[in-house]
Amino acid sequence: MENKLIINQIIPFSNVDGSGNRCAIFLQGCNISCIYCHNPETINYCNDCGNCVNACKYDAIHLVKSRIQYDKKLCTSCNACISICPYNSSPKAILYNVAELTELIKQYKPFIRGITISGGEPTLQKHLIIDLFNRIKPLGLTCTIDTNGFFDINEMEDLINITDKFLFDVKTVDDSFKLCGVANLSSLATLEYLLKKNKIEEVRTVVLNSYMDGKKTVEKVAQLLLNHLEVTYKIIKVHTLGLSKQRQNKINDFIPSDEEILELVQIAKDLGLKKVEYVL
Amino acid sequence: MKSTIQDIIQVAESKSLTYQQKLFNMANVAERLIDPRELLGYSDEEMQYLDNSMICDLNEGYALYRPRYIVPDYKVFIENGCRFLNIDPPQSLDELLDGLLILYRHVPSITSFPVYIGDLDKLINPFIQGENKAYIKIKRFLNHIDKTIVDSFCHANIGPEKTLAGELILKAIIELENPTPNITFKYNKNVVEQEFLLKSIDACLRVAKPSFSNDVLYNNDVGEHAIVSCYNALPLGGGAYTLPRLRLGTIARATSSIHELLSDLLPHVSRAMLSMMDKRVSYIVEKSNFFETSFLAEEGFIKKENFTAMFGIVGLADAVNHLLKLEGIHENFGTSKRGDEIGHQILIKLESIVKNYQGVYVERTNNHYLLHGQVGASLHDEDNYNTPAHRIPVGDEPILPTHLIQAGQFHKYFPSGTGDLFAFDQTYLNHLDAVADIIKGAFDIQFRYISTYLQNSDLIRVTGYLVKRSEVAKVESEDVVLRDTDIFAHGTNKNAHLFNRKTRKDGE
Repeated sequence: MENKLIINQIIPFSNVDGSGNRCAIFLQGCNISCIYCHNPETINYCNDCGNCVNACKYDAIHLVKSRIQYDKKLCTSCNACISICPYNSSPKAILYNVAELTELIKQYKPFIRGITISGGEPTLQKHLIIDLFNRIKPLGLTCTIDTNGFFDINEMEDLINITDKFLFDVKTVDDSFKLCGVANLSSLATLEYLLKKNKIEEVRTVVLNSYMDGKKTVEKVAQLLLNHLEVTYKIIKVHTLGLSKQRQNKINDFIPSDEEILELVQIAKDLGLKKVEYVL
Repeated sequence: MKSTIQDIIQVAESKSLTYQQKLFNMANVAERLIDPRELLGYSDEEMQYLDNSMICDLNEGYALYRPRYIVPDYKVFIENGCRFLNIDPPQSLDELLDGLLILYRHVPSITSFPVYIGDLDKLINPFIQGENKAYIKIKRFLNHIDKTIVDSFCHANIGPEKTLAGELILKAIIELENPTPNITFKYNKNVVEQEFLLKSIDACLRVAKPSFSNDVLYNNDVGEHAIVSCYNALPLGGGAYTLPRLRLGTIARATSSIHELLSDLLPHVSRAMLSMMDKRVSYIVEKSNFFETSFLAEEGFIKKENFTAMFGIVGLADAVNHLLKLEGIHENFGTSKRGDEIGHQILIKLESIVKNYQGVYVERTNNHYLLHGQVGASLHDEDNYNTPAHRIPVGDEPILPTHLIQAGQFHKYFPSGTGDLFAFDQTYLNHLDAVADIIKGAFDIQFRYISTYLQNSDLIRVTGYLVKRSEVAKVESEDVVLRDTDIFAHGTNKNAHLFNRKTRKDGE
């Protein structure tokens, strides 16, 4: 298992994970647990508890020798397994070794500009990603990572060097515990470092009142981006579509209005940013 | 198919045809009243394959008096005007557009409407003086075409070079949202400018046109050409005399093994169709006096030496599915490796038969008729069981990358045209560069032609031509509609559920 990437999902053609048409690979495993997480089933590795076996009406999940086995052919994507998982995981994660994954990506090569590794938090599986990128880049494809930036740059030097661009989420500039479930995390220094190395394609902030300070976050990010006006800053209103009831209840009262988002966009522009986008 | 006197009465009394549609239908019925054995010398074997639906002649008729597709070189008009119509060479945009509209009335075809109206951007661009005024004129010109050439097989070409005229045409078609004219963007990755390409993609998502043709590939195969009717690549200044088609599904279902199909029935039916084509072409050239009476030929808009003829096929998927079943394989064409192998075996056999046959009056294409992936029609019950060209039946489509690769491998067999269509979801409107990547990739794997549209737009591509869903709904309720193609679309959609093609969401 250590030599295999744990993949939650592969989207052969994605138009929203970096520039152009890209193959997007969503890895299993995350180092945080955001209150608004839209794919919490990517957070943890499956612990083979077996709760999902009975939840599956299509006989697609079995416990064999105490390990979960998932049959993709029988799966109807009803997601009952994911709804019932008490552990923010998925029985559907698939293990790929790097060679297998490279072969798969080669099939899509004529139609894509590159690949994007997302998650989860991709940097948790950095050794295998480095191996993968070493095989993908000679094909003429670009390699992008979508990250929350909560990593130690000293540990990631090799990965940073081989990665063409990062899509970088700035979750919050205050204490991370309330929003991300883990205390004392900060990504601004990492962002600054990657900006200097010309490794950032896009910075994004999802805005949710009370759990984070939208204005302060936008201001701090804007200050960093002032020297890198080619980088897009995307300010996104949190949305609850597809969230569990439990999560919805926690954030329903704190969803910013469209006007609040537009104000933040204006703040970023007033500070001098040229490429500010928003999603309402 | 032969017609009957009863057909005349049926046309006369129709509640759903316009006067003009009745007129053209009457003419078509008349062309088919003649027995082709008597006039064209069809053999009993040829008649048998028409009668049992293995060959479909698309109701082209037997008393032939014009080539099916005519592709005039409109540059002749710019240089010389038209003596027959007593028009001087155009000196202004108004004179050009007016002159073209007049000419279009005189360009025959199987539907009696022109299937090719020119490389409009190249024709118009030199005459533009003042963008705003030119835009109003171009938009009015295009709208005029939609209301008078009431048949969306009518086709214009643009690109690959960026021109102001090309950009104004794109702007106008988005505003007009008309089905006609159909438009093709000739794509050459070494020439195309990204910005112009993205504007074209924006238009194709919003109003289902232009489609994109592989200009490099077609220049190699057909030489100087235009994309006309659905997506047919035909010599410029010429065209195609005739387009009969094999119903491969019907033919295969009459056999009990791939061996029987490839070594016996398919060669027999193919040779019967080839000899029918000889007879049809010869009649047009030798008996109909078309070229002797056409001012287009007299004045050099077309030349007899630039014509070819098309050997069409439909129903590859259905043929393959029948053979898979015979082999005990529970897979479907589109997602079956063995299915693809059988598909190639059939097409390699056909290619060899067609390439080894000397056609008549087709020196422009090395004395050969050209294979064509015909898009389908609804003329007979058997058309319910013959999917267009080599396409995957709606409902059996795999995910987009797999679909593209599966489809692309069969394009090489069809020098006179084939194409595939993909419906995208709304998110692609904000990511035109992603569609550009897909189109470029498709041509890199030797696609000839690719069309895209948004699944929820009113304008939709049926098999190669465009219709409005709302107009087709009128046919359903037996209301009178403007275009013949609205009527064809109703029949074709009923057979093949084309309005429900798989929508390409992110990743599917």
